[in-house]
Amino acid sequence: MSMNRKNLDSEDTKWELQEFVSGWYEIPAAMTDRRRINGPPGGSSPVIFASSLGIGGRSVKRPSRIRPPDELRKIFLKTGLTPLASGSAYLELSPSANTGETCDSLAPSSSALKLTCAVHGPRPLPRSAPFTPQIQLSTHIKFASFAARQRRGYIRDASERDLAVHLETALRGVIIGNRWPKSSVEVVITVLEGEEDRWWGDETGGGTTGGSAGGWGMMNVLAGCITVASAAIADAGIDCLDLVSGGVAAIVKTPQSQHEAPDRDTDMGEIGKNGRLQLVIDPAPSEHQEIYAACVVGYLSTRDEITELWLKGNIPGTTSFSTPMQMAEVGGLLDKAVEAAVAVRLVLGEAVREAAELKAGQNRNNKE
Amino acid sequence: MAYPSIAIPGQPLGLSSQYASGPGTHVQNAHICASILGPVVEYAQDTKASSGKTRDSPPPVLSVQRSAQLVSNDAALTNVLPEVDAVVLARVTRINPRQATVAILVVGETVCSDEFQGLIRVQDVRATEKDKVKIFSSFRPGDIVRAQVISLGDQSNYYLSTAGNHLGVVMATSDGGNTMYPISWKEFKDPVTGVTESRKVAKPF
Repeated sequence: MSMNRKNLDSEDTKWELQEFVSGWYEIPAAMTDRRRINGPPGGSSPVIFASSLGIGGRSVKRPSRIRPPDELRKIFLKTGLTPLASGSAYLELSPSANTGETCDSLAPSSSALKLTCAVHGPRPLPRSAPFTPQIQLSTHIKFASFAARQRRGYIRDASERDLAVHLETALRGVIIGNRWPKSSVEVVITVLEGEEDRWWGDETGGGTTGGSAGGWGMMNVLAGCITVASAAIADAGIDCLDLVSGGVAAIVKTPQSQHEAPDRDTDMGEIGKNGRLQLVIDPAPSEHQEIYAACVVGYLSTRDEITELWLKGNIPGTTSFSTPMQMAEVGGLLDKAVEAAVAVRLVLGEAVREAAELKAGQNRNNKE
Repeated sequence: MAYPSIAIPGQPLGLSSQYASGPGTHVQNAHICASILGPVVEYAQDTKASSGKTRDSPPPVLSVQRSAQLVSNDAALTNVLPEVDAVVLARVTRINPRQATVAILVVGETVCSDEFQGLIRVQDVRATEKDKVKIFSSFRPGDIVRAQVISLGDQSNYYLSTAGNHLGVVMATSDGGNTMYPISWKEFKDPVTGVTESRKVAKPF
């Protein structure tokens, strides 16, 4: 018995050691989290009653977009909120304005986005790392376990790591790396509230359409991550070519009834009996019955350069990328995403300028 | 004054024909653009550097100041890296016959938020009679040394030199633990016991 126990102990210490040594590296997903008491893997989500799904006769109204197609949700952005980090920022997108109707369910109709970013460094490289004439950038994105309806684990999963790679691409193009030889910088983002991939009614089968491929919320999260990381990097004083801002645009289906006067810019033609294809910027997935394609860009507005581009989906009525029609639509989608990024950049610029003015004022007071 | 008082990264500040690009800026399409967030300053270029040229007055330098991160009322941490030719203050951490390993604490006038590891090799301790230098009689662990960065070095160390009158040990404690004072270019004296210890002494200002 005692022998057994000893074995167990030694295994534990080995595991601890391993994690200590590999502190800089990813923990492979195959390894299970043995340090915490985890909830059931599937997680639990709030109960949704059949009555609120319209099964009992009452119909539940899905949220719909009441903003114009070319208007962003309101953005709150502030830098310097994490005192221990060398630079930090917090970004929040306000939940879409409620249509005013009372909701039968307690489940919120639409999600907001809440991100907090900390930048650590530039700091000297760890002893084992080889010489680099440029700054070493590493990005980490983690969803809080309570960030979405689906509970997340404590160890980063594949989608979080994928987002981090996208973010790294976006930032690598903007940082002037050779100003900081032999140093590393870490960008750590915690998603406190993530965008839902679709309306909860669709998830539980209560919606009118099932919604096609998921993952649309991720695109909004990535755009937010790019913006918030850019603000935090500016706060940390790391040399950059420009402030990179993230923008999202999507091709969605709008019901004919809600469709306003045709707009040359955003209208794309009819789909089905009573729907129209429309180009919108900053789509909140829960507000749209169907999203066909979406695009995220990381955009440098003063230089007119794109550092990150993520395009996904399929535009109905077209089959392949080769047709000129499809190319024009992709171009339109891309232009709209850039338009969104330019609008986000205005907020970003104001937020960092405000922080710099505050800091300059503080420094002046200290000297006096 | 054409440029704004506070610049954000990417903001154009002036034409590169009228100004020179200083720290915190980069040149893009013949424009000097800010690359960090902070107040913009303009200052005259060092005339000594370009005295040989025919141009009578070099263009003024535009630079963006790194605003210090305020930790408390009087301490401010900034992210600075040791550069070649920078004068640094460092603490000796360990010595061996070939080199002294130091931790760089201050670069120029700014306190580092992180310690950088540096190395003073035996041939870089002083400028003359390099073959007679002994690390053991030049530095001891715990000494505070003023040194100059000669190279960014290898993966882990910055290479430092104390060759020069104004470089060397500035603060030292004796074997007995008392703070000593310098009495010559190669000796410190313990005020309590009166014992002298040999060091590569920096000339006091």
